[in-house]
Amino acid sequence: MVLVLALGDLHIPHRAPDLPAKFKSMLVPGKIQHVICTGNLSIKEVHDYLKTLCPDLHITRGEYDEDTRYPETKTLTIGQFKLGLCHGHQVVPWGDLDSLAMLQRQLDVDILVTGHTHQFTAYKHEGGVVINPGSATGAYSNITYDANPSFVLMDIDGLRVVVYVYELIDGEVKVDKIDFKKTTATTHSAH
Amino acid sequence: MVKKKVPDWLNSSLWSTTPSAASSSTATTDTNIFDHHSPTTASPPLESPINPPLPPTAIRDEEQQQPRHHHNHHHPQKPEIKDKLSKSSIVDDDDNNNIIINNNYSDDNIINNKIIITNNDIRNVDDDESSAEDISKQALLLTELSKKVINMGELRRIASQGIPDGAGIRSTVWKLLLGYLAPDRSLWSSELAKKRSQYKHFKEELLMNPSEIARRLEKTTVLNNDNGKSESRCVLSRSEITHGEHPLSLGKSSVWNQFFQDSEIIEQIDRDVKRTHPDLHFFSGDSSHAKSNQEALRNILTVFAKLNPGIRYVQGMNEILAPLFYIFKNDPDEEMAACAEADTFFCFVELLSGFRDHFCQQLDNSVVGIRSTITRLSQLLKEHDEELWRHLEITTKVNPQFYAFRWITLLLTQEFNLADSLHIWDTLLSDPEGPQDGILLENGSLMVPPVGYKPVQYWTEETLLRVCCAMLILIRRRLLAGDFTSILKLLQNYPPTNISHMLYVANKLRGQPSH
Repeated sequence: MVLVLALGDLHIPHRAPDLPAKFKSMLVPGKIQHVICTGNLSIKEVHDYLKTLCPDLHITRGEYDEDTRYPETKTLTIGQFKLGLCHGHQVVPWGDLDSLAMLQRQLDVDILVTGHTHQFTAYKHEGGVVINPGSATGAYSNITYDANPSFVLMDIDGLRVVVYVYELIDGEVKVDKIDFKKTTATTHSAH
Repeated sequence: MVKKKVPDWLNSSLWSTTPSAASSSTATTDTNIFDHHSPTTASPPLESPINPPLPPTAIRDEEQQQPRHHHNHHHPQKPEIKDKLSKSSIVDDDDNNNIIINNNYSDDNIINNKIIITNNDIRNVDDDESSAEDISKQALLLTELSKKVINMGELRRIASQGIPDGAGIRSTVWKLLLGYLAPDRSLWSSELAKKRSQYKHFKEELLMNPSEIARRLEKTTVLNNDNGKSESRCVLSRSEITHGEHPLSLGKSSVWNQFFQDSEIIEQIDRDVKRTHPDLHFFSGDSSHAKSNQEALRNILTVFAKLNPGIRYVQGMNEILAPLFYIFKNDPDEEMAACAEADTFFCFVELLSGFRDHFCQQLDNSVVGIRSTITRLSQLLKEHDEELWRHLEITTKVNPQFYAFRWITLLLTQEFNLADSLHIWDTLLSDPEGPQDGILLENGSLMVPPVGYKPVQYWTEETLLRVCCAMLILIRRRLLAGDFTSILKLLQNYPPTNISHMLYVANKLRGQPSH
């Protein structure tokens, strides 16, 4: 029962001052085991804040990130699942499923998490699942209009993942979930 | 008179634990098995208390014994005085818990005693487990246990003298004493089945993590990825969550929230379980047995904490649980041992119910709390040995809380090794003296427990306090000679002692002091 928080595109301080208060009140330390962030934080203070939620933090570089040392892509294994992380501005056309599927095959992961579009989506294709957690602050984007703040929490339990989608719509937090099962177990390689 | 002197019987060299060349009465043991006899042919008493350790697999011989004398009824219930073993072999076991053997017996009544021992885990066995005594007790107990309806009073009487280690008797007797098994044997199988399934139900209900609970609650369709070669590409369907249940929920009724709140307690339990009895292979180490035993302890404590939100888990409960589980798990009866976890849970609840007020911080200063119990101990000491009491309380200002707290709350498990604790617990569990209403005193008045106390709880505590008092009285010489530091050092690391002797003394403290 591993909880993984996936979020990104906060664009603090350029496009948004902070996470919505309702989100912040829910995100308390001690509950989440891993945090994966697609990028565009953009400053170190946000990095530190995310670090307080959970010590295991993974970030990939977005085009507005001030810290240039983040990698372009990252893969990690949690439980039986392999997760891939990438900001998404590198994959053109932005948000296109086929291109993202190509990236997923390239990284060889079950779940690919990307951002950049500031729009929550969750696709399934033959190679696996692609999840876009959207923008956690609902920051302005030239692709998506009226983006709602959103993030994703994954509960990985054996071969099953329950994806909880948290969205702030009209000032209220709405939570939905998506179930996803994997058929074969991953053979673990030393990480 | 102001100063109460130490009772004579306490001062007799009968009770001194150091080997003395000039011992007292040397009456033959033909007529009275309780008389001490000096080792005549048994060589000069062994000077060093350290004897070579026994190979742990040496098996105890239960050889023929002579016809037993029945205990003289006006002798108190501590028959395990070393009438069979020579005096020198009663020397305290040293820190290595080596077992003392002495094969020389002066008494021509005694046949070669090959001695002993052990479970590979119990590192010390009281020397009083001389086989002859034990066999008779074992026989008595077995007879009692095999009756259709067990006479609890009789069982208590025999058990309070100590239960022999073999044949899984202790496991059954404790279950009877704690009320887990009814005196009527015919009810046992049905009762046991009921209780065990109840425990299983508790475990399933309480030990599930929220993911599983959520899975059970959900009624939405699950997207099955069973088509490995499906070409389908689709947007994954979102579904509503039930009852606002999500991992970050802050709602009071949320399963997840409760889970995270409990996780702190679970962590604490986990830490304590790992630290329980690190010297015993049964509980610690890397073997799968140790792991599964620890798992069982963890489960029991977690279920208890969840079922009792008022008291939750307090550090120390693991120490009270450990001997129970140890005994039940080592029951030679396979079926009993397999269900040890469930049995232990209920017995643990029962045992703790008598003492749970000690664990509740809010009750510390109340009549039933730990402070008041410690005060009772003080009072008891004052009644029986005023000189010592004065020395401790007033002269050296040793606050009884410094030592008695651990003695009382943990039921003396931390002061002695496991074998001795078991022996002490035999007496504690089998001896809630006194009728429900009160004890009739010599002067005709009725001693009743104070308001707020359950009578059974009060009397069981009385027994415990008497044992603690005996512990103090036994080392009075050293205490009287010591100052604050040395006294505290002594009491917080209680020196190894003869348990039967101690229990005998404790028993003598019953009722009012004789003078």
